[in-house]
Amino acid sequence: MGLPLFRAQDDPGPSFVHFADAAGLHGPAAFDVGAPHATTVVAVRYVGGVVMVGDRQATGNYIASRDVRKIEAADRFTAIAISGSAARGIEFIRMAQLSFEHYEKMTDAALTLEGKANYLSPIIQRNNLSTPLVVLPLLAGWDRGHQVGRIFEYDGAGGCYERQDFATIGSGSPFAESALRLGFRADLDRAAALELGALALYEAGDNDPSTGGPDFVRNIFPMMVTVDENGFDELPVDETASHFRGIAERRTATGGVAGSTLR
Amino acid sequence: MSNFFYVAPEQMIKDRAEFAQKGIARGRSILAAIYDRGVVMVAENTSASLNKISEIYDRIAFAGVGRYNEFDRLREAGIRWADGTGYTYSREDVDARALANYYAQHVGDMFSEGPKPLEVEILVAQLGNQFRLTKLYRVAYEGTISDEPRFAVLGGDAETIKGRFAATEETPASLAVTLGHAVEALAGPDRTIPVSDLEVAILEDRGSRRTFSRLDDAAVSELLSG
Repeated sequence: MGLPLFRAQDDPGPSFVHFADAAGLHGPAAFDVGAPHATTVVAVRYVGGVVMVGDRQATGNYIASRDVRKIEAADRFTAIAISGSAARGIEFIRMAQLSFEHYEKMTDAALTLEGKANYLSPIIQRNNLSTPLVVLPLLAGWDRGHQVGRIFEYDGAGGCYERQDFATIGSGSPFAESALRLGFRADLDRAAALELGALALYEAGDNDPSTGGPDFVRNIFPMMVTVDENGFDELPVDETASHFRGIAERRTATGGVAGSTLR
Repeated sequence: MSNFFYVAPEQMIKDRAEFAQKGIARGRSILAAIYDRGVVMVAENTSASLNKISEIYDRIAFAGVGRYNEFDRLREAGIRWADGTGYTYSREDVDARALANYYAQHVGDMFSEGPKPLEVEILVAQLGNQFRLTKLYRVAYEGTISDEPRFAVLGGDAETIKGRFAATEETPASLAVTLGHAVEALAGPDRTIPVSDLEVAILEDRGSRRTFSRLDDAAVSELLSG
């Protein structure tokens, strides 16, 4: 690639996607190749931030991978999760990370969280309307201007919707959502939000064949992250393990049923 | 009927060089130096928002002197080139030397073929790691590229400032000491530059992927007083 210089009237500005279009960096639209997909990721707001919990399994006609990372830091204060086509999803995360950093370097100012959420809409729209390899992301982060954690979800056509409580994506959503609906309170703290997120993911893994629950044999556990005023933080494996061991022990004690309380 | 006057190539190049030098000499200089843990870039800049020093990539920084609109467009092209190359290949494939060469080609083309030469000088700094060395590449207005060993000075008063900084200790010192020498060299013996007129940025490993950071007035004051 040569030095990408543009005349002022043709300049793509600080948007990496517009630049990639102008420079022809995008590949051709894909067709359905039966790529691995399916997921459950949940995001929960709490007082002082957001929690995200996501499973690690990539599923095709069989389990393609057990340790996929479906949640990544898009930047220091933003977490992004993907569901749908793994190939397009990973590309989507790359594009989001690159775009936010590109904007920051070009303008010497970071995008607002709402700016990041809106920026992704046309990327999702273009991907989902041009290929059958649908991607549905979930964006959660710390809004530094308003000092609050926020969650944005998307529909298949790129529509962006802010959620005040929690959001889920992926094939295990109905099960995760049920747990969240019963357990969510507006005054959750970080620990309670992590526990609720883990429980919702456990439910999804328990019921949805395409969602990987805790894997005690291989010591692989769903990813748990928080984003607060100090930025993106991924819980170490021993902490995620203890959350899921706790749930599994309680379920074992009650013969596999949750019982009358959320546990 | 129009008249075409013959202009000898030597004369044309001399005229163009004089034009570019005059433009560059109007602005203040920039000094970049390698210290024991990274690269520090110091510019005299009265504006707090129209930057002369900027982040290009994880381990690459840009500095420009001369006409702001001209070097800012080169800065933008550099960020696009770096992000585009890293996206196409991998982040480790983004190399400052390749970028400096592209700058040199473009600035050189504009010098000999453009409607007017660019009135800019560019620095591309790279922080080394296990794959690459720490480098300071200077691209002059006529497109010559140089690989400066310990420090580089850009701008109209470069030779004098170069002489002053060259007199300092050769082995890389701490950030505070190197910054102190750089500011003294930029100011000269007869004046002091207020901290508010300094734009300072560094490339240094601090445990994260991105190594560029700007030092605000408070941080610069603390380093200079210590």
